[in-house]
Amino acid sequence: MAGLAPEGTQFDGRQYDAKMSELLSTDGQEFFTSYDEVYDSFDAMGLQENLLRGIYAYGFERPSAIQQRGIVPFCKGLDVIQQAQSGTGKTATFCSGILQQLDYGLVQCQALVLAPTRELAQQIEKVMRALGDYLGVKVHACVGGTSVREDQRILQAGVHTVVGTPGRVFDMLRRQSLRPDCIKMFVLDEADEMLSRGFKDQIYDIFQLLPSKIQVGVFSATMPPEALEITRKFMNKPVRILVKRDELTLEGIKQFYVNVDKEEWKLETLCDLYETLAITQSVIFVNTRRKVDWLTDKMRSNDHTVSATHGDMDQNTRDIIMREFRSGSSRVLITTDLLARGIDVQQVSLVINYDLPTQPENYLHRIGRSGRFGRKGVSINFVTTDDARMLSDIQKFYNVTVEELPSNVADLL
Amino acid sequence: MRPILMKGHERPLTFLKYNRDGDLLFSCAKDHNPTVWFADNGERLGTYRGHNGAVWCCDVSRDSGRLITGSADQTAKLWNVQTGQQLFTFNFDSPARSVDFAVGDKLAVITTDPFMELPSAIHVKRIANDPAEQTGESVLLIKGPQGRINRAIWGPLNRTIISAGEDAVIRIWDSETGKLLKESDKESGHKKTVTSLAKSADGSHFLTGSLDKSARLWDTRTLTLIKTYVTERPVNAVAMSPLLDHVVLGGGQDASAVTTTDHRAGKFEAKFYDKILQEEIGGVKGHFGPINALAFNPDGKSFSSGGEDGYVRLHHFDPDYFNIKI
Repeated sequence: MAGLAPEGTQFDGRQYDAKMSELLSTDGQEFFTSYDEVYDSFDAMGLQENLLRGIYAYGFERPSAIQQRGIVPFCKGLDVIQQAQSGTGKTATFCSGILQQLDYGLVQCQALVLAPTRELAQQIEKVMRALGDYLGVKVHACVGGTSVREDQRILQAGVHTVVGTPGRVFDMLRRQSLRPDCIKMFVLDEADEMLSRGFKDQIYDIFQLLPSKIQVGVFSATMPPEALEITRKFMNKPVRILVKRDELTLEGIKQFYVNVDKEEWKLETLCDLYETLAITQSVIFVNTRRKVDWLTDKMRSNDHTVSATHGDMDQNTRDIIMREFRSGSSRVLITTDLLARGIDVQQVSLVINYDLPTQPENYLHRIGRSGRFGRKGVSINFVTTDDARMLSDIQKFYNVTVEELPSNVADLL
Repeated sequence: MRPILMKGHERPLTFLKYNRDGDLLFSCAKDHNPTVWFADNGERLGTYRGHNGAVWCCDVSRDSGRLITGSADQTAKLWNVQTGQQLFTFNFDSPARSVDFAVGDKLAVITTDPFMELPSAIHVKRIANDPAEQTGESVLLIKGPQGRINRAIWGPLNRTIISAGEDAVIRIWDSETGKLLKESDKESGHKKTVTSLAKSADGSHFLTGSLDKSARLWDTRTLTLIKTYVTERPVNAVAMSPLLDHVVLGGGQDASAVTTTDHRAGKFEAKFYDKILQEEIGGVKGHFGPINALAFNPDGKSFSSGGEDGYVRLHHFDPDYFNIKI
């Protein structure tokens, strides 16, 4: 974000496109490999039989779009940059690619996968283990917060694949509990998140310890130009599968929660955040029209400038309010789900769920109002004790991570 | 309707089945463990552990003593419903998909998916009273419809088997000779994969759901198309009320596409239609992923839905439901 707009100007879609096309076109002949084949069934991909059994046993029936394009080039040993939205099958793509190429007679680490969080690393390990069940794969999740001694013991006993977070993996490499000699595949999952979280140096340090001839896979839901530039250091003429800018959605949005404990404390929390809200265009979602009116009155009586709209207002009034909001003359809009699908203001970069949606599928549409055009947006969920379950379910289904709100939220906008 | 939310599966639901008495509900999912619930209050009674892959389908015997499950681990298993004990494993060379006990519970039909060079197949197995005498031998083997056979059920008097699947064609087979007796008409039939099939309470007609965004009602003997129910979403599951002339359809946007859209709704509600008039009556919201399974309690007073989100939702109808006028 800071790199994109150092002067703090609002995001410019044309600037993004120009930079992306510069990267892709000027170096197109040198940096990328063209690979256009699409496989509409797993059987057609030339995978070994026991991997195929594992894929079907896991419950996959046919490959998703990313899998149709992404599994085979990875299996051929090519470097790959693969971008696809969350929940569309990236994990199975690189897991299948790794499993296809392992030498199961050699119980040494041959593939290393890095992920930004321990939860994600453990999830990848689970999928890898399930897909590789018929192959007898030995895979270990090497993450912080677990016993170092236990990790050392398992690694020294021998595994085919390690999935980990950068800190622990680097530590194991440094202690020589994890030996890189046989590693021939290196995967960065959620690469954009990795590079934006300050893992860059750690990843580079790890990469320096790996053999010089190694296959690299970079997987992410968003692939901003900065991440693409950095991958040059690691990769050799990668096959790229990228999503067009206007197809990016949920994963471009960083999601947070604030534990407000009680309903009555939400208003106070919102007032505390108001200065942050007003920096950019923000939308606050509540669940009922009555509450829109109530919250609007409360905010205004606290001397905060807000706009409000909901289904009971006549269309003309709603149009005027949307025009004010779209033009930026008012910056905070309070509304209900009814209008979530209709709000398409490109500058919106902050969404607040004052109430979690009563219909979970509306979460996608509320959050989709933020973080478009391939950049990070932010959503903040106000969570009471009763909401914790719903938030957990939303995270699970949409495969998103909702973290506790840091104190420096303004830096994220 | 205030649904009972049943959380026991870690991965997407694939199938739901009530026993004949309607007091038990069996659920299957892509985790490996079919689960049985009390159908009145949604309490979990137990799980059946032993499969090593997604479980696609199940059926329960008339006396609720036996459960049969078909799994992507290339096996179908027989279980003691009460104890959860595995009684027998049928081994195949490809994932098992659909299972159905015959009337009388002496036979079962099991479909297997295509796998590498192997075509899809319909197997008929004899089910022994005494588990010690159970064998894996096939009474009949029918090979070769194109693509997966997503559902196969017994026809009237166990004389026929009805199958439907990825090639969009519904077929009726002679269950003794394996001869193909009828195929659904290409013009009036489904245009895409048939995902689901539900028989009426008396077996005289059945309903199929398809990715072509429609469900169709067929006469079981003649395979004549009776009614068509058009929706605006792919249909993954269908069910018919045993009491009223209502059908219910569930589905929604393909799971792999849910996070790639920003303007379209997922359309994850279960939709009720009048069976005769083909008009939509209403919908039941709640799942936050596609619905993959639907079933009516045989008493007609409740139904269950299972979704990609891993939840089973049990809905007891309000009295108003039984007085709907169109």
